[in-house]
Amino acid sequence: MINFDSFSLENGLRVIVHRDESTPLTAMNILYDVGSRDEDPEMTGLAHLFEHLMFGGTRNIPEYDTPLQLAGGENNAFTNNDITNYYLTVPAENIETGFWLESDRMDELDFSQRNLDIQKSVVTEEFNQRYKNQPYGDSLLLLRPLAFKVHPYRWPTIGLDINHVKNSRLEHIREFFFSHYAPNNAIIAVAGNVTTERIRALSEKWFGPVPRRKTATRNIPAEPTQTSERIMTVERSVPSDAIYKAWHVCPRTADDFYVMDLLSDILAGGESGRLYTKLVRGKNLFSEINAFLTADIDPGLMVVTGKLMEGVRVEDAERSVNDVINELLDKVPDPGEIEKVKNKFESSSVLLNTGILHKAMNLAFCELIGDPALINTEVERYRSTDGEMVMKAARKYLIPENCSTLYYLSSKKEQE
Amino acid sequence: MSLPKRKQPPLNPFTAFNAGKVNLLSLRNSVPVYTIEAGTEDVMRIEFIFRAGIDKEYIPLLATTTNMMLTEGSLRHTSEEITRLLDYYGVFLNLSAEKDNAGLIAYFLSRHIKKVLELIREILFEPAFPEKELNILMRKRLRWFMINRERVQNIAMEKFFESIFGSGHPYGHMVQESDFEGLHPAVLRDFHSKYYDPSGMTVIVSGRIPMNTANLLRENFGSLRSGNVYTEEFTPELKGEQQKKSRIGKEGAVQSAIRIGSPTINKRHPDYPGLKILNVILGGYFGSRLMRNIREDKGYTYGISSLVTSLDLSGFKVISTEVAKDKTDLAVDEIYREIRLLQEKPVERDELEIVRNYMSGDLLRMFDGPFALAESFKSAWEFGLDNSYYEAFAEKIKTISPDEIRSLANTYYKIDDLYEIIAG
Repeated sequence: MINFDSFSLENGLRVIVHRDESTPLTAMNILYDVGSRDEDPEMTGLAHLFEHLMFGGTRNIPEYDTPLQLAGGENNAFTNNDITNYYLTVPAENIETGFWLESDRMDELDFSQRNLDIQKSVVTEEFNQRYKNQPYGDSLLLLRPLAFKVHPYRWPTIGLDINHVKNSRLEHIREFFFSHYAPNNAIIAVAGNVTTERIRALSEKWFGPVPRRKTATRNIPAEPTQTSERIMTVERSVPSDAIYKAWHVCPRTADDFYVMDLLSDILAGGESGRLYTKLVRGKNLFSEINAFLTADIDPGLMVVTGKLMEGVRVEDAERSVNDVINELLDKVPDPGEIEKVKNKFESSSVLLNTGILHKAMNLAFCELIGDPALINTEVERYRSTDGEMVMKAARKYLIPENCSTLYYLSSKKEQE
Repeated sequence: MSLPKRKQPPLNPFTAFNAGKVNLLSLRNSVPVYTIEAGTEDVMRIEFIFRAGIDKEYIPLLATTTNMMLTEGSLRHTSEEITRLLDYYGVFLNLSAEKDNAGLIAYFLSRHIKKVLELIREILFEPAFPEKELNILMRKRLRWFMINRERVQNIAMEKFFESIFGSGHPYGHMVQESDFEGLHPAVLRDFHSKYYDPSGMTVIVSGRIPMNTANLLRENFGSLRSGNVYTEEFTPELKGEQQKKSRIGKEGAVQSAIRIGSPTINKRHPDYPGLKILNVILGGYFGSRLMRNIREDKGYTYGISSLVTSLDLSGFKVISTEVAKDKTDLAVDEIYREIRLLQEKPVERDELEIVRNYMSGDLLRMFDGPFALAESFKSAWEFGLDNSYYEAFAEKIKTISPDEIRSLANTYYKIDDLYEIIAG
């Protein structure tokens, strides 16, 4: 059970505090309710580029990292389709340094052309490193626009086209900041050996004076229901063929999310998952296979990815995947199997919540999607799922007309 | 404009790290069990370590394959049943075979301790090494290998190890396609009987440890008998290659992977803590010289880092980065420039102060929580040390002088000794 307090400041900033007396450190997580889904289709990748620029310093504090390191702290950040999340850990004695740094860069940023130019090339190299210079690196760049035709989930966080990042100008950056970075668009979670009174006082002192801002109204087009199967085939210089399949599923907050999450674990949660047992261990068709939910706030995807063994025909491999999926539509999983995936979920949830940083991140995210208490109650949502519900959800979502398939074929198989 | 709220809060001195209390209990057959009681949740981490790492292998891939086959079937259960049981009890099991040691780590809810220990005993001491599973594993591994061979990072790192340790030693063996044939269950059984022996086993338990844990450990592991104690009959030589610079072309690459480094001292050497501090300044944190120069000033890369690591028979240091292909030579020049700068000019007090505080904070992070406590203890224990190693390290962080750092840079980063591998 993770205890917490929460309060809001007058400027709309929400704060959650969790006390953990077992650690000398304090974790501070600050979540901004902005992700790549909030970008203009003509100017994608900006949320993530902006995350880089947040470390460029302000008029008041020329370098973000140095004072934090002097305080014994460390930090990082990530951006995804839904959120931009900054986090730090620091010895509890110096938590105020975290408040000073985070409130300062929420208040105003030093938008320098030089910093922008450098971070554009850093992000370009990040793009190259992650997507261009890796075998199968572009697979999700291809799968997203196949599955999403309208919703901004069709582009990845790095951007639809890296030229959007390269062409961005200071005025875009400035506009982005003032329309998304504001106390009324942020959630702070602090975990460690701290009291709520102290965190309240520090929040008032440092974040209280940051003005509420008029942030951009979210106006995201809903993805129309997919009505027919979509297929795309590419050839790349990779050693093995691969298959990627994606089905539209429910939003993160829907009841079905928990059912589908368990369903994806039945398929691929650990080596006892059905896909691994049947298709890797049993039929030896794949060298690796996985299934997961993208867990996006708006309706996201369930994705199955698999790399084929040598000599296996892609049609045969896919048919076998479909057989495993269809079994979920035809037959209620036995209670032992359901119990297994629930146990695994409970175990992973408790194990993850042993660290203050994870607890702080999780609390902030739960607040964003509705209630920080979800950190404790989600286990119950999983526990109350049964086999019938899994079959019902499978029948609802895992149907061919809701599916997009990417065949990622090796162009150099013959040479081997 | 300077509002009162903008004034920097004072930087407070912070508590030193607490390595926790490590208790030792010895089983009847002398297996040492270290226990560290810690944490707020009813979870545990238990690690079983054997000197069964890659340096013991007399056939390539033998150590890693033997290790990976442990869960692929026992005398009592099939591979499928073992993985189903592990998942049913919510166990996260990591098998690993590294350069020196091998074994497994399990993370689980404390209430399942009894079942988990029974399963682990079966996994470690009753593996069946079924031929069918072995064949599947080797075919899978070959595919993973083919895919990894497409990554410039892997190409450069493999070549780096071959260059600094020599192809004649398991530390430096570069895996070949042909290595994936020729492993038979009998060879695995032989390796297992030699190196997965209770006489060479150490256990580290941490977390919220139930009262009956010691008894359960005694029951499951205390009466295991040792086979014939095996002494190694072959000791290949660690010998770096003559050729210091290698460039490996990779068709279609848009970035080059750079690895620059050499063999070096390990944790047992008195200079090691100082070398670690020097490494942090050079490339061991976000504010490091290499990061500031090559990422934050030039924008050549998404990231650059340097690392100093201990091995049983040696140690190594390596600077790693992936850079835009047309910036490769410029980046390499800048790396050497930063090394020379550390050799020529003492570090400024301000910079050293940042590093001292950052590293002191990092020590807190290294001992925060039951899992981190066990990991840090293990990495001292592996070298015959205990947590007093970290006390000495903390002291060195506080007291090291700019001159000492410069002298370490001259001793350990001689440019002519460094290997330079570029793939891309």
